[in-house]
Amino acid sequence: MTARKMSIWAWRLVVLAVLLGTWEWGFDLAKLVLPKAWVPKFLDPYFVSKPTAIWASFLRLGCFTDPLGFSACLAANDNNLWVAMLVTLKNMWWGFLWGTGLGMLTGLVLGRSDYLSEIFAPFIVALNSIPRIALVPLIILMFGLGDLSKIVTAGIVVYFVVFFNTYEGTRAVDRDQIAAARLLGASEFTVLRTVVVPSALAWVFASLTPAVSFALIGVIVGEFIGAERGLGKLIIEAEARANASEMMVAIFVMMIVGILLAIVVRRIQGYLLRWQPQFDKS
Amino acid sequence: MSEVLPMTAMTATAAPADRITVRNLDKRFRGASGDVVAVDNVSFTVRQGEFVALLGPSGCGKSTILNMVAGLLERSGGGVAIDADPVVHGAINRKVGYVFQRDTVFPWRTVEANIGYGLEIAGDSKTARAAKVQRAIETAGLSGFGRSFPRTLSGGMRQRVALMRTLILEPEILLMDEPFGALDTHTKLEMHKTLLEIWERERQTVLFVTHDLGEALTLASRIILLSARPGRLKEDFEVPFARPRDPVALRESAEFGRLYSHIWHSLGEEFRRTKAD
Ligand SMILES: Nc1ncnc2c1ncn2[C@@H]1O[C@H](COP(=O)(O)OP(=O)(O)O)[C@@H](O)[C@H]1O
Ligand SMILES: [Mg+2]
Repeated sequence: MTARKMSIWAWRLVVLAVLLGTWEWGFDLAKLVLPKAWVPKFLDPYFVSKPTAIWASFLRLGCFTDPLGFSACLAANDNNLWVAMLVTLKNMWWGFLWGTGLGMLTGLVLGRSDYLSEIFAPFIVALNSIPRIALVPLIILMFGLGDLSKIVTAGIVVYFVVFFNTYEGTRAVDRDQIAAARLLGASEFTVLRTVVVPSALAWVFASLTPAVSFALIGVIVGEFIGAERGLGKLIIEAEARANASEMMVAIFVMMIVGILLAIVVRRIQGYLLRWQPQFDKS
Repeated sequence: MSEVLPMTAMTATAAPADRITVRNLDKRFRGASGDVVAVDNVSFTVRQGEFVALLGPSGCGKSTILNMVAGLLERSGGGVAIDADPVVHGAINRKVGYVFQRDTVFPWRTVEANIGYGLEIAGDSKTARAAKVQRAIETAGLSGFGRSFPRTLSGGMRQRVALMRTLILEPEILLMDEPFGALDTHTKLEMHKTLLEIWERERQTVLFVTHDLGEALTLASRIILLSARPGRLKEDFEVPFARPRDPVALRESAEFGRLYSHIWHSLGEEFRRTKAD
């Protein structure tokens, strides 16, 4: 490790310690030295909890400290932390999958056909202007409180991001490369498969990292508005009991899920786009 | 064909067949401020095994002509035929290979996969391709780079990949649009050497577009000179240098210099005109 890297890591640890320290003791310290009216609300453990309390809640919600043991604790609560996480992840995955799949397919088709894209342009612009979240109550009404409504929501949120990037990527394909492929004997479909798709892939991937976050947002908002299980449901329940620690646990789990999924996408991207200089590891 | 041969001998040896026939070719582009005439009544023929350079200043319509010969561009008037078959816009003729001036190597494919592209999409098996691709890589002097992605290669090497990607399909007719136009002088000479070696062995019918008189004289057996825009046929003459040619030695020879300056002074006002603007 270079000296520069070491100092960067040292400073990161310092920042983390200051953040956690302020979070843990900031409110009590401020109460001691400042008049009551000046003590900042955002430090109040009633709203933001404390690292130690969050950790304790995590151990309890995660069934690590239950006197009955791990599996008995899991069985006792059908929306325990792990089930909630799996449910949210699963809905996110299916939503991400259909949103991305349909976005790529329609982006590719409209990107390749001036005629179709001219026909559909106003509809797409109009649909895209609707804040997706505004549709969630409607979707829940239509698809119920179960998993399906979350999958639909996540997919719709993901769809437009992927669609627009695929469309632009398809438009940006080098016309001479297409002509070269045709002259080497490629049919229309072969051109699509061997030139347009690989060339547009860089654009598609640029949309996938935000798409993962959007899928998570879509599922969580769906769960806020009406759900039986999931991390969003966990937060809403904790809110009803004014339990900041439990809300924080769910938020941290989402953060970690988000980070892990972003790493996975980045890995796949790095492999599929290894021909591009920015993904060169050698 | 030599003129000293009597008529009977001419017919006995049978003149090489016409491979590319261009008749009264016109091209107008519709522009905001009226039509632009890019090509004006151009006719010529390229016979079997000829290496013809289509020479003219930049913007005179060379690429336009070549693209109409390849069927990539619609004609405004006149006709083009490959062998006896009229060229149809949008229909690709498998006898024809085309090399672009712009870099059209697929950056997401390795050198091997680029060169083997045409064979791959034609359905050749991996093993059937491998030997041919390996030979092409050696011919192009790209040994050791088979697994590299194009971005790690120099411009000259990428153009070698593009050339071999076309040649591996063994086209009988080769259309080349300033394929070395973007390369520096030294790399260009190396490419000339490679291309001459290949052509002197295989004798494809070549129509080679260039704005570089030296390049045309080095490579071609015949030069078709076009005027500045709109492109019209200005001159059509044989290049007498013996083969096999060594591009470096040829360029240093006195006869090359003499012919170069003769053409430059008698026909070169077109080139000077573009230099001025
Ligand atoms: N698609 C097009 N639309 C309008 N004008 C064009 C188009 N393509 C070429 N031209 C014009 O036609 C002329 C000949 O172009 P081109 O064949 O590319 O020249 P060259 O290859 O000899 O440099 C140029 O003046 C160019 O501006
Ligand atoms: Mg040109």
